Amino acid sequence: MSLTIRNLHVAFRRNLVLDDVSLDVAPGETLVLFGPSGVGKTVLLRAIAGVEPAARGQVLIDGRDVSALGPDRRDLGMAFQNFALYPHLAARENIASPLRARGVASAEIEARVGRVAELLRISHVLDHPPRALSNGQKQRTALARALVGQPRVLLLDDPLRNVDAKLRYEMRLELPRLLRAAEAATIYVTQDYREAMALGDRIAVLHRAAIAQCDIPEAVYDAPVSVNVARLFGDPPLNLLPCRPVAEAGGLRVEAAGLRLLLPAAREAAGRDCLLGLRPETITVSRAAGGGAGTVRPAGAGGAGVPVEIVAATPLHERMVLLLRAAGGVELLASVLGEPPQGVPVVLQADEQRALLFDAESGARIPHVARTLEVVA
Amino acid sequence: MSLVLQHVSKTYNPRSAHPVRAVRDLDLDVPDGDIIALLGSSGCGKTSTLRMVAGFEDVSEGTITLAGKRIDRLAPARRGVAMAFEGYALYPPLNVEENIGFGLAREGGLRRGTDTRKRVHEVADLLEIGPILDRRPAGLSGGQQQRASLARALARDADLHLLDEPMGQLEPQLRAVLRGRVKALIKARGLTAVLVTHDQTEANAMADRIAVMEGGVLQQYGPPGELRDRPVNLFVATFLGEPPMNALPATVQPGGLRLEDGEGVHLDVPPSALPPVGSKVVFGVRPHRITLGQGRLHATVTSNQWLGDQAHVAMELGDRLIVAVAHQRVAAAVGSRLDFDFREADAHVFDAESGRALLHGNQPA
Repeated sequence: MSLTIRNLHVAFRRNLVLDDVSLDVAPGETLVLFGPSGVGKTVLLRAIAGVEPAARGQVLIDGRDVSALGPDRRDLGMAFQNFALYPHLAARENIASPLRARGVASAEIEARVGRVAELLRISHVLDHPPRALSNGQKQRTALARALVGQPRVLLLDDPLRNVDAKLRYEMRLELPRLLRAAEAATIYVTQDYREAMALGDRIAVLHRAAIAQCDIPEAVYDAPVSVNVARLFGDPPLNLLPCRPVAEAGGLRVEAAGLRLLLPAAREAAGRDCLLGLRPETITVSRAAGGGAGTVRPAGAGGAGVPVEIVAATPLHERMVLLLRAAGGVELLASVLGEPPQGVPVVLQADEQRALLFDAESGARIPHVARTLEVVA
Repeated sequence: MSLVLQHVSKTYNPRSAHPVRAVRDLDLDVPDGDIIALLGSSGCGKTSTLRMVAGFEDVSEGTITLAGKRIDRLAPARRGVAMAFEGYALYPPLNVEENIGFGLAREGGLRRGTDTRKRVHEVADLLEIGPILDRRPAGLSGGQQQRASLARALARDADLHLLDEPMGQLEPQLRAVLRGRVKALIKARGLTAVLVTHDQTEANAMADRIAVMEGGVLQQYGPPGELRDRPVNLFVATFLGEPPMNALPATVQPGGLRLEDGEGVHLDVPPSALPPVGSKVVFGVRPHRITLGQGRLHATVTSNQWLGDQAHVAMELGDRLIVAVAHQRVAAAVGSRLDFDFREADAHVFDAESGRALLHGNQPA
């Protein structure tokens, strides 16, 4: 039950919303479509569903070209952020509606609605109309309706957007199991990078009307193709420091914010204007050497420590986000575990292995030559 | 300056058949120089409280004292309070610089070289709106308007600064940096600030103390660490924290608890503060306080999600899910059995009916 999209174009007048987008989603796979609002995620879903008249290109389900078929003949299940339930129908009938439309026998409908309701833990509210349901129950009802017909393709448009944080988190844990059981090719739209990483077997990042990167979550996070992709992931997001690398034995020498890093990066970037990308959790802050006991030299930290001032400490869940100021007034964010040293001079160190380097002009990442993720066969 | 609310209530439509009791008998003591956060979901009473302190709403009952002086009957302008609103409320005909300097005009105006001008530019640079000082509010993005509003409040010398969702519109990178800068500025100038927010990450990042409100009632007021480690009830325990605290139904047994998880896992809990054997309770442990890979308990992994800087592992304990957070990748496939544990000191027990906390670690709540 695979889904293939080939050379999809969508333009509204002169405005090119999707430019030659191609994607493959395997049976049972969840592909997360990720990007900021207005980037064209919903338009892509509409094109797959067959309700976007401006779409040009091919949509194949199980290898069969359905581009010319109407939405009701594509065998899709859909759920949306606004739930889109029929207000006059009880939850049970909302869920049953795709089966009724297909003329499935009543006994069969009852059995299947019962099963999917149990899976989504809404059996006890099946007789309630939507207005009597909590947002969480509405959203589960909408998901049940999407799943009940056992469609070959599931299109989920930011379905957790309008439920509260606790429910959203619960569903984030539950959905992978539900989606695996559904065995459909699933496209899941979200703007929340954590949700994208939690739910996606792969993540397709939409940027400027095209798929900028499509890969497993770890690769998108650790080896983003561009500075634009890198900035969309991480909380707090990564630090970006202007620099001009110099070729040296073993790689590129990069100096920024007082740091001197030797990156195992491709040497053709030497002499070019670049951006050094440091994720906050790859920066460590410790007492300055000579500050007595407690000096920490974490493994993998590159270069000598750079003296910094801790401007402010703002806790984030179990971590501490530190706003640091280095010489020259350069500010950096570090995300560390435990309490930072207080009342003593501190230094920062950065993990060279996880440092990212981008071409300042094109924004493209300059690949490391020795990163394990990128070993070329 | 210190702010004290005593027995403050707000009732809308008091004489109607359906009076709305937005705030009930609120006591709050904000020490001079502290940043506190009023935290809760919409309708919890935090905004009504803010409006009463600012003077946009009358108090129905109780008193509000700022710097030792009763202010609850004073006009807003005479209370010595600077505000940044969620709706921005910038003056449309004035440019950003004039808006920020508005409350300071009598201190010498914005002419070149004045202290007022210097302060306006300092705050504007701090909030990264220096380049748009000559623009009118109508041409600005939501995030720029929000920063202009915040700058106007922070530029003023006031006894109290009220900040209503001051950074909700900002993009993540800027928000993370500005949280740090604004906190540092407030501390450096010794300001007293009340932050109103529905966002627990904002409250945790900025505040010395957090007041959690729900249904018009103050649930708990204390430093973030105290709310995390000693929540007074199940509401506070599961409202704060991401992911939320694991909460599993359990029954008191001789010497401990039995989890109602289908497998009847027994947990040793010191019985000192527990209700009688057979009582229904809720057992709680925070996801960050669970150690994985070894321990007394075992469960089947249902999901293992790596989020770039942390792993969230969900396990099926009987018919319940229990979530653990680790700061490294966890090698555990979905469907595999995983051992886990937690320290006795990190266990919480709540009364199942009232939700009241009974036990935190080895100590009665």
